[in-house]
Amino acid sequence: MRILVCIDDTDNLESLGTGQLTSVLAEQLEEAGWGRASYVTRHQLLVHPDIPYTSHNSSMAFFADIAPDCLERFTAHAESFLARESAVGSDPGLCVVDMAHLTSERDLIDFGRQAKERVLVKAEAYGLAEALGVHLTEHGGTGQGVIGALAGAGLRLGGNDGRLKGQLKIDSADGTVTVAQLLAHPNVDAVRTEQGDVLGAGERVRLHDKVKTVLLGGASVLLVQRDGECPEGGGWLNLSRRQLKQY
Amino acid sequence: MWIMETDGTKVFKPGRSDWAAAAREAEQCDRFRPDDEDEWVADEPRSCYNCRYRRWTVRSFACMKG
Repeated sequence: MRILVCIDDTDNLESLGTGQLTSVLAEQLEEAGWGRASYVTRHQLLVHPDIPYTSHNSSMAFFADIAPDCLERFTAHAESFLARESAVGSDPGLCVVDMAHLTSERDLIDFGRQAKERVLVKAEAYGLAEALGVHLTEHGGTGQGVIGALAGAGLRLGGNDGRLKGQLKIDSADGTVTVAQLLAHPNVDAVRTEQGDVLGAGERVRLHDKVKTVLLGGASVLLVQRDGECPEGGGWLNLSRRQLKQY
Repeated sequence: MWIMETDGTKVFKPGRSDWAAAAREAEQCDRFRPDDEDEWVADEPRSCYNCRYRRWTVRSFACMKG
């Protein structure tokens, strides 16, 4: 069975970040033999004076394919993990979606969109979670993180928001690779420009700085631009961190 | 470079997109601590925009070690 997991608001200024905890949780799911986890994505929520957050108000999500009889065990584990590992002063929330029993994908996705545009309250999150048949729990502090946890699940499900956690490691002697080599990486589904031009398998991309993909159209996409330093003028370059800020 | 608000919060005056100024400030700051790499937005590794102690606001960020 397929599940979608999202956590939010587990950190304080001195602790491990929510992204690191999410990665650990995904690893533990696999180590326990419950199933396989996908990559983790980061989703930016609204920054607003009325919203409490540590430093950036983002949540982290991943899909996993697990054995049906492992759902209860995983959820219980995730709950105790968050209660134990979340930092003092944080307001952690956990969302676990059993995709087969989600009553409305559209409503969950819409909640995610709304969380990027307006201030939401806990009652709205709990109300929607109950209506959708989604597990949503708080594990300390004010529990305000349930809003971001549910919203992050919606944004991940929508497939058009956020950056993948971590960076791609792709071997190259001269710093350039072909699109075919990039597509051979398990976490790269497509290589294209922001304008939507898809690169052919034989085209070359110069990799600079940290190489990160974004979630677009439900796929992990490496965004590229024309490489101004390419002598023949035909090469491509991955977008910089600054250029990826909006995702 | 900084605005001191009435509650004592120290806000970065140039806003969210002055990459050079954010890098200069971080170079001079002995409290700079890099955030998780996934939260970095500046290309310059040492930048206030990549610091664990910056808290984003609508128009800029507040320095939580100010």
